[in-house]
Amino acid sequence: MTGALLRARDISRRFGGITALAELSLDVGEGEAVGVVGPNGAGKTTLFNCLLGLTPPDTGTVEFDGRRIDRMPVWRRSRLGIGRTYQRMELFRGMTVADHLLVAEQAHAGTVRLWGDLLHHARPSREELDHVESALRLLGLDELADRPVDVLSLGHARLVELGRAMMGRPRLLMLDEPSSGLDAAETARLASIITDVRRSEGTAVVLVEHDLTLVGDVVDRLCVLDFGRMLAVGSVGEVMADERVRQAYLGSGA
Amino acid sequence: MSQLFNYAVPGIPFGCVFALMGVGLVLTYKAAGVFNLAFGAQAFVSGLAFVFLVQDGWPRWAAGIIAILGLGPLVGLVLDRLLFRRIRTASPLVKLVPSLGLLIALPQVALIIAGSTPQIPPPALFLDAQTVYFHLGSVPLSGLELSITVATVLVVAALVVLFRLTPVGLEMRAVVESPRLTELFGINAGRVSAFAWVLSSCIAALAGVLLAPLYSQLNPEDYTVLLVWGIAAAVIGRFASLPLALVGGLGLGVAQQILAGYLPAGIIATGLRPSLPFVVLLVFLPFSRQRQLDDPLADCDPPIAALAGEARGYRAAATLTGDRGDETVAVGLWHRTLHPDGGTSIGRRLLQRPTAVLGWVVGGLAVLSALTWVSPDWLLTMTQGIAFGIIFLSLTLLTGMSGQISLCQASFAGLGGFAAGQFANHLDLSLLAGMVLGGAMAAVLGVVVALPTLRLAGLPLALATLAFALLADNILFPNGWVGNGATGVLVPRPEIGPISFNASRSFFLLALVVLALVAGLVKLIGDGTMGRFLAAMRGSEVAAVSVGIDVHRLRVVVFAVSAGLAGVGGALYGSLQGSLAPNDFNYQISLVLLVVVAIVGLGSISGAVVAGVVYTALLKSLSTLPARYAGLLAVLFGLATLSYTRHPEGVVDYLGNRLVGLVGRLTGRWRDDLPPRTDAPAHPPTGVERVPMAADGVDR
Ligand SMILES: Nc1ncnc2c1ncn2[C@@H]1O[C@H](COP(=O)(O)OP(=O)(O)OP(=O)(O)O)[C@@H](O)[C@H]1O
Ligand SMILES: [Mg+2]
Repeated sequence: MTGALLRARDISRRFGGITALAELSLDVGEGEAVGVVGPNGAGKTTLFNCLLGLTPPDTGTVEFDGRRIDRMPVWRRSRLGIGRTYQRMELFRGMTVADHLLVAEQAHAGTVRLWGDLLHHARPSREELDHVESALRLLGLDELADRPVDVLSLGHARLVELGRAMMGRPRLLMLDEPSSGLDAAETARLASIITDVRRSEGTAVVLVEHDLTLVGDVVDRLCVLDFGRMLAVGSVGEVMADERVRQAYLGSGA
Repeated sequence: MSQLFNYAVPGIPFGCVFALMGVGLVLTYKAAGVFNLAFGAQAFVSGLAFVFLVQDGWPRWAAGIIAILGLGPLVGLVLDRLLFRRIRTASPLVKLVPSLGLLIALPQVALIIAGSTPQIPPPALFLDAQTVYFHLGSVPLSGLELSITVATVLVVAALVVLFRLTPVGLEMRAVVESPRLTELFGINAGRVSAFAWVLSSCIAALAGVLLAPLYSQLNPEDYTVLLVWGIAAAVIGRFASLPLALVGGLGLGVAQQILAGYLPAGIIATGLRPSLPFVVLLVFLPFSRQRQLDDPLADCDPPIAALAGEARGYRAAATLTGDRGDETVAVGLWHRTLHPDGGTSIGRRLLQRPTAVLGWVVGGLAVLSALTWVSPDWLLTMTQGIAFGIIFLSLTLLTGMSGQISLCQASFAGLGGFAAGQFANHLDLSLLAGMVLGGAMAAVLGVVVALPTLRLAGLPLALATLAFALLADNILFPNGWVGNGATGVLVPRPEIGPISFNASRSFFLLALVVLALVAGLVKLIGDGTMGRFLAAMRGSEVAAVSVGIDVHRLRVVVFAVSAGLAGVGGALYGSLQGSLAPNDFNYQISLVLLVVVAIVGLGSISGAVVAGVVYTALLKSLSTLPARYAGLLAVLFGLATLSYTRHPEGVVDYLGNRLVGLVGRLTGRWRDDLPPRTDAPAHPPTGVERVPMAADGVDR
């Protein structure tokens, strides 16, 4: 696949005696949605961290849009157009919902702000505010725009994280179990937002999920990870029919 | 080789005490969740009690039992109950400030209660301190050294037995591994952590008693130094391993004696020994980050629960205020809203900001008074307050806005002051130019501190900056070209052309202008894009980098700006006093600065200014009291520390929120436009078939 947006090759990572990732390769095409599933501890979160640079991989290369990114600092990779959410949510405590989106929007532009702040009391530009407004509407969070995230329900908090990752029109969204802790209605809403964004912006998505209905709704292709290895790749139906996958999930007796 | 041996052996008793401190610190840190800096103070209190009891004719063994097994754990338990139990899960700053406050307050309280200092030289726990009992090789071993070493060996043996062989020891090891997991097994982690407090307090008390005879007079500052060595030992143990902390402490004791033996005389060399903890901290702290400092099960917390503590503060504020204009500081720290609900009429706007109105009125009256009827020495106090206000503003920026805890802010201020004086004296510059240059030098120092500590946050960062302050005290400031040792540096009053600021009123005005400039700068940063980035970094560094913020660079910048502002404040202070000595801004001052501004309010400009004025005014009014009550400030300090755990947003913001609420109620705007509650918990799915793979509730 030559036109891959993200191309990871032979990523390995060990933690002490644990092999979290073993020579794993993953391609994500432009606009493609790839699901990643696997039992707890399979290495899914570690894969995300290695791709984005939060955890440096022991071996392997990562390319984004044809450029090697594995030596770049995390913030630069993100500015290239990769948005990400966290399984264990990482919100900016004490900041409002709107500020979360605004920070992400402004960080993507990436200009130095100190002098601007000092010289002309830099207020967010009209354009930035418009982007924030429309994101709030898309997420259905306009009512809560001025609330600190600390008091949001889990479902809303996950939406804020998703929104923050979507600011600055990333070309790739990496979502780590966005539905964990949500109820069915909230999950459905999440799925429709992801689908909307994909349709309107052509954003590629890597979705780590345990909830297979959500995965089935969103992804084009499914990868199964087990002990840091790629166990199976294919359409959702194919993969779930695979004998090895069933064993990995349900134990050898199944 | 035998030379090395001769240097090393006398280091062992020191090492023993360091090791005891380190072990105690790790014990409470792991079992009770608090890195208890008040440990040094607990050691001092027991040491003091021991010497007094012996002076009153008690036999040493009885005095030892009372001080070590009675008073020690008592103090520990009281602190646990009153204070530390409540802040177990709080943010690093909220955990740090009370223990720092107690470190300063507790010895003073003890001295006030005692009423005097002991008349006898502190005795050893057993044996005669000065007598040499035998020689190891050619090294004479005195009773002091023997008693320390023997007592430590006994305690360590007892600890090993306790941990290996007794049920409570096993439980404690389990709690140290993971309090949460232990509770799941039906063990009361609270009881176990109380036991850990008792145990570690006994250890602190023992260290305090053992150490006493090293000094002819008991002095809290020596115990703070001891604490710093203990911290270094705990860091070698990566905050987690008791044996490693033990070995680390011993190693440090030996190493510092060897250093002292081999190094030539001179400032750098004599400074190097007390700075050894700094080197250790810088080398070892990064490793402590690699390991999970917390409970391995910490990940199992539902995310919202971790936020709940702060949400409570927010709700309290929202309930009180009824509205949230952009002045309202919800959780104390620079929380802004994007759309301030601007009222239409000026009157209405003023009513929405009663705190601002009150602040300006009081401030204006104070300035008017200063310029008309205030007596010269109170004018001096007010000017000092302004200088400290500027230094506090540097902490507002660094700690309040961006969440970086600095325990070396006084070093920045000191360097700024020294540099300003040196430039003015040697280059014949006006002090105003000197002040700018001093600020610039301090900013450079800020970068020097920021760069090696980029990967640290929270407690490790605080400790690294503390170590840095020690380094500055011992190696940088004693030099003739910096702080000129005990003599200090003359810092002249500035002149601009024909205008001289020698008169106290004109200097007051100058200070006011500088304050306004600095406050304006901090406000512009806080309200601007950079303030938002800083708030993001404070909220979650991981998330900040992954939205594209260059967190490392931001940290270097904010450290530089903050250090520069502190430097300007220090220069202003020096110029006011006419001279500046290293002790005016030693590391203890850094601790005091952080505690004071945190208590008064890190969340706003006014908090810093009020902190400066209140702090100097208190110092001044207490200086008129008889000597016996000199420690009263420290007592106040301790009480304020207690209140801080309830109101981490600080006194100013707390009262401000109350005032806003009151005015809101009086003007009938009570809760009218508060948005509906949306913080109901997410419902668990009911009647919805889920794919079996969904591992909700466990996996998060
Ligand atoms: N920082 C770390 N230190 C040590 N081990 C780690 C670290 N991070 C992950 N691991 C280990 O690596 C393995 C993979 O973890 P990872 O979090 O990537 O799994 P996962 O697939 O995301 O699991 P889950 O479904 O539970 O989220 C696990 O065995 C985990 O214990
Ligand atoms: Mg995971």
